[in-house]
Amino acid sequence: MKQLLPLAAIEVFVWLFLLGITFVISKGAVEINFGTASLAARVATQTARVVASGGLVLIWLLGWKKVTDSYLNRTLSRKRANF
Amino acid sequence: MLDILQPTTVGFVSIVTFIATFAATPIVAKAMRARGITGKDVHKLAKNEVPEMCGLAIIIGLVVGVLACVIVFPAAIRALTAFLGTVLIAGAIGVVDDIHPLGARSKPVLTALASIPIIALRAYVPFPEIPFVGVVRLTIVYPLLIPIAIAVTSNSINMMDVMNGAMPGTVAIIAITAAGILFFLGNVQIGSLAAILFAAMLAFYYFNRFPSKVFGGDTGSLSVGAAVGALAILGRLEAVLLVALIPHIMNAFYGLASVRGLRERREILQRPTKLLDNGLLEASTEKGAPVTLTRLILASGPLGERQIVRSMMILTAISSILAVATYWITVAVK
Repeated sequence: MKQLLPLAAIEVFVWLFLLGITFVISKGAVEINFGTASLAARVATQTARVVASGGLVLIWLLGWKKVTDSYLNRTLSRKRANF
Repeated sequence: MLDILQPTTVGFVSIVTFIATFAATPIVAKAMRARGITGKDVHKLAKNEVPEMCGLAIIIGLVVGVLACVIVFPAAIRALTAFLGTVLIAGAIGVVDDIHPLGARSKPVLTALASIPIIALRAYVPFPEIPFVGVVRLTIVYPLLIPIAIAVTSNSINMMDVMNGAMPGTVAIIAITAAGILFFLGNVQIGSLAAILFAAMLAFYYFNRFPSKVFGGDTGSLSVGAAVGALAILGRLEAVLLVALIPHIMNAFYGLASVRGLRERREILQRPTKLLDNGLLEASTEKGAPVTLTRLILASGPLGERQIVRSMMILTAISSILAVATYWITVAVK
């Protein structure tokens, strides 16, 4: 169980980071609006929102990867040193 | 009257699914062994041969469960058909993959096709609810995201099916979480689908837990993954189930990122773990070894297979608690 604490902490961090990203999406990406007059404008609005949100989700995934990689590298290098 | 009937009907469809899966599993296992469709239990010193493709029993259980749902919820026929169609297509892809292994790139593309019933029957609501953002109107883009969602859930659950009991154990936790939220929302029809998935997982876990008597194969994991994706879409629990699936996504995403793209297990030369002479598993210290959830769990010391699966289930339970918190935040902000 003790062995799982760092991974549980990563899970909580990833979740909080995700909430932070959705907050940024709510204040930024969702505000993008090219109007609703034509189909092209509606498609452009939705596409821009998805692309902007996708970019933020990518930041979330990269942040998640960075934390996990640093945990794994630190733990394994400590193990190698002990060996 | 309705309030008294609802738990009874949900109990009925769940028990029927449990019995069907529980009865079908040994029969399917016997048939697979007779045909020589077996796989090595690689995380054990004895490397026993275990019947493969027994995920067919899960599909049988889900078919029976959905048919029972059709009897008690005839009004929800469209959602039930979409769910069943998705599971069957993903299961068929799994059968092909178990018999003639598919390429690493073709598998996600083919599993995306399992979303066709949901799109064709328009069994989705293109207004996902996201914490802080609220209801998002995605009438044009949403149908294009459905194949991606089904491909992601089915392949990430497929990649988690590496240890005895890991797939049914973790998915059972996710399914019961989804069922709880859907019943709380009053969505009894889709909640029943989550309940039958839980029942099928519970029955299959009995045979698949350590030491495994059956393997689900890609038939089981792809169909179960597609079922989870379908539940997220039909029940409008996209954000909630994304959080519940954090351990699965962690396993799949880092596995793929560390080997630089989509590759079949056979193509990856370095293994993430090593089997020690005492039967315990140890994380590989090689720099190029894939980063998987198992390797992360083992990073601080060797463990037995049973303990690793228990760890996976604890991590899924934590992510499921976070998923419930996500639901509460979504409701509170709204």
